[in-house]
Amino acid sequence: MLKNYLKIAWRNLKKRKIFASINILGLSLGFSCVILIFLFVNYHLQFDNFHKNSDRIYRIVTEEHRDDVDYESSVPPGFAKGFKADYDYADKVANIYTREDWQINGTANKKSLRFRENVVFAEPDFFEILNFPLLEKLGDQTLNQPNTAYITESFSKKMFGDENALGKTLVVKNKETIQVIGILKNLPKNTVIQGEIFLSYKTLKHYDNFIYSESWGGISGSLMCFALLHPNQNIAQIEKSLIQLVTKHRPTSKNVHRYKLQSLDNIHFDNRYGGVNVSLLWTFALIGFFIITIACINFINISAAQAFTRSKEIGIRKVLGSFKQHLFWQFISETFIISLFALIVSLAIAIAVLPSFNELFMLNLSITSLLDIKVIGFVLVLLIFVSLFAGSYPGILLARILPTLALKGKLTQKDTGGKLTRKVLVTMQFSISIVLIVSTIIIGKQISYAINADLGFDKDAIVMVDIPEKIETIKLEGLMERIGKISGVKGSTACLTSPGGTDSNWTTGIRYNNRAEYEEFYISAKLADENYINTFGLKLVRGRNFYVHDSITEVVVNEMVAQKLGLASSEELIGKQVELNGGNIKATIVGVLANFHDQNFHKDISPVFIAPQSNAFNEIAIKIDSQNTDVLLAEIEQRWKEIFPKYIYEFSFLDEHVARQYENEQRFLLMSKLFSGLAIFISCLGLYGLISFFVAQRRKEIGIRKVLGGKVGDILLLFTQDFLKLIFIAGIVASPLAWYVMNNWLENYKYRITIDWWVFALAIGAIATITMVTISYQAIKAATVNPIKSLRIE
Amino acid sequence: MIQIENIKKSFRTEEVETLALNNVNLKVEAGEFVAIMGPSGCGKSTLLNIIGMLDNPNEGYYHFNGEEVGGLKENQRTKIRKGNLGFVFQSFNLIDELTVFENVELPLIYLNMKKSEREQKVKQVLERMKIAHREKHFPQQLSGGQQQRVAIARAVVTNAKLILADEPTGNLDSKNGIEVMNLLTELNQEGTTIVMVTHSDRDSHYAHRVINLFDGQIVTESQNKPFKVNG
Repeated sequence: MLKNYLKIAWRNLKKRKIFASINILGLSLGFSCVILIFLFVNYHLQFDNFHKNSDRIYRIVTEEHRDDVDYESSVPPGFAKGFKADYDYADKVANIYTREDWQINGTANKKSLRFRENVVFAEPDFFEILNFPLLEKLGDQTLNQPNTAYITESFSKKMFGDENALGKTLVVKNKETIQVIGILKNLPKNTVIQGEIFLSYKTLKHYDNFIYSESWGGISGSLMCFALLHPNQNIAQIEKSLIQLVTKHRPTSKNVHRYKLQSLDNIHFDNRYGGVNVSLLWTFALIGFFIITIACINFINISAAQAFTRSKEIGIRKVLGSFKQHLFWQFISETFIISLFALIVSLAIAIAVLPSFNELFMLNLSITSLLDIKVIGFVLVLLIFVSLFAGSYPGILLARILPTLALKGKLTQKDTGGKLTRKVLVTMQFSISIVLIVSTIIIGKQISYAINADLGFDKDAIVMVDIPEKIETIKLEGLMERIGKISGVKGSTACLTSPGGTDSNWTTGIRYNNRAEYEEFYISAKLADENYINTFGLKLVRGRNFYVHDSITEVVVNEMVAQKLGLASSEELIGKQVELNGGNIKATIVGVLANFHDQNFHKDISPVFIAPQSNAFNEIAIKIDSQNTDVLLAEIEQRWKEIFPKYIYEFSFLDEHVARQYENEQRFLLMSKLFSGLAIFISCLGLYGLISFFVAQRRKEIGIRKVLGGKVGDILLLFTQDFLKLIFIAGIVASPLAWYVMNNWLENYKYRITIDWWVFALAIGAIATITMVTISYQAIKAATVNPIKSLRIE
Repeated sequence: MIQIENIKKSFRTEEVETLALNNVNLKVEAGEFVAIMGPSGCGKSTLLNIIGMLDNPNEGYYHFNGEEVGGLKENQRTKIRKGNLGFVFQSFNLIDELTVFENVELPLIYLNMKKSEREQKVKQVLERMKIAHREKHFPQQLSGGQQQRVAIARAVVTNAKLILADEPTGNLDSKNGIEVMNLLTELNQEGTTIVMVTHSDRDSHYAHRVINLFDGQIVTESQNKPFKVNG
């Protein structure tokens, strides 16, 4: 029986090549989308799932309760020691401290090489908690001595080529010489730990005394603390008991810490602590479902419309003894075959686009990912689901055909039914497309707004150049002087960070006007020289810029400080004393700046102070004449290298930094564009199939209408008016839905666009136009045929 | 074999109700060859569909081999039809996507017969219908006469006790028409009961008995040749 079904299915495919191609193409595109989305979701779901005892591994994080609650994926540097000393919850506890883009020098084959890499300072127990296996090591050494390191095999290859890296030395930041004592297997991409060089934690004393000192005075976002708990621990109870550490170590702080244990599987997905927004994954999964639904709807519509043409076969089968269920399963088998074809094509598409997909979404998937048991299982389930979903309705329609009418050829389209269902399904397709178009427009508008809006500071034609940490003042001054002399440089400043477009944010407590206590809120520090305000075009609304003295005696703040302090006017700030950074800075406010977006549009503008603390400067910002960028960049590089010949020169543009803050959104936008385009394309394929069928069905009617004086326009209207009505209904259904979804999405932004009515009109108009173009080709072709021909066919 | 009592069948469209059969009574003995004649729209095909259990009457009784089948549901009717009844149509009604062999094999598949047995039976019947050399051809590649022979082969391959033929020569030239009628007669002589709807006087002469329908009622009935009830 099955063989017979398959035979018929195959021959039907060959006979109805156009419809088969439309179905296979639509389903293939749908399948490839869904498979790629599954790989994407599965990749994220597998983050850090490869560690032994993963159910007992936790990262300890901090809730900072001030006037607001902030979430830090870190703990004070002294936490790990306190946790180990005062409690017995864990087998192992270890800190790691990660820094990005540090310069590493080495020598291989008598050749000096230098790179910028992420380095991780790790306590030895870190490798007992998480599974990052060592391939080789020097004797039985572990990372318990200063100036030792493990490096990954890929970094070993990069730095030392084929030479054995064990025992070799590296120089970190042109400062300390480090011996390589172990080679780590390359870290997988799906882990939150990202680094190539793991330095012993004891080495940190040469680089960051605040972290190494195990202080409780503040938090650095670069530090992470992991614990392997004893089995069967009560997490809530542990968190509650950790309050004692706060009482012990931070008794008077206005910044009240609450330490929380974050399970390993939750780290990647907790967006409060910098994880991926899990709703984004489910949104993609939903979009995948939409796309495959659209492809199935095409299949259902075309097959249901064609049920009429297959009525004779069905009639015969019924007469010869076929039960309804035989016919139903016959059609499901046919759908299965088409789906199987589509699946094979889709796998080829998925393999072909995998490299671009990886690049676009920063994944590390290979063809072998498709052989993963979960992926195979998913693909099989998908195949069965689509066969049943797409095949059931046409199967039911076919099975209920009356043989007596079918065999006499008296069956009409009406007898096969399904007209209403078809309309509902087409409306559904239009609705999905409208929702996707509206979403794409709104996401695009919001990102464009965030990137192009007036941020309150200049971001265009500003080059940011890294400088070595804590360089001598004389060298910095020399560099600034040389750069200032370059013709085409409009201004330059040395600073800790730019006013915005950066994730790095140094915040500190503030005591205002000798008040008894520190304020509830934290203030963001923009440490910079006196040229900062001019170079970035910040607007001074009160007072003046600070003067630089040997010590910091003057600061400038933004208007938000007045607002946070509850002052009636920012005027009141001028001349007031402030104590900042735990009393390290005591200065007078001499100027007030207009507020500027120091954070991305997801967050409120912070209170900010600017002070000339030169030992904290990390980079210089250079405003250049954008007409002459290449020449200027080369000159800046040359000047820089004259001063810092031993360092790697790195530069970037500030506007790119600002845009990069919305990288995830831009990726989301790109995905929305891709999927909307695909959804529309697949819908159009279906419409094309449907309209070809209707035109063939109504050829006689077209002939008669033309003989009676009907014009091409009338006949075009005959085919288009029904679809236009459906688009109108889809618009009514989809618009509130799209508004709801996008309004929710925009709620994530403190600064957002408003949703204009024209976005919906544009989406509906676009769908109507695309539909008309799709339909017109077939309809005009039919309408321009000589009516004698059409009538003769009948 | 067939006993029909006072059956009525009407069709309803949106506005009109048409009475296709009105108090029809008919008895067909096993082994008999009956021709049903009458003008277009008189209810011949409706009667044949009811006899073939493709449709149910609105009123009256239909006993097939002593069993009341007039009120059965579609699946129950299919069960009785399978293997017992064979159909031959004016427009042949072969499945275009199946070869001659596969078309003839189809009713045996629905009877869940084993493949080897099916092959043997199909080959046998194709030989008999003198169409075996065309077994791998598709219906479109055959002449009308050949297609009708395939249809007859398909009707008899299950050893059906009753063959219902709806204008079996309507689409054939006279030579092929005669050939088909001879085949049906041969089957009848071997014991198969045949009920045939026809417009053709010539074809009706092959039957033992001719029934004339008009406006849904049997108006005349004539005996062409004697029929002896077996047993």
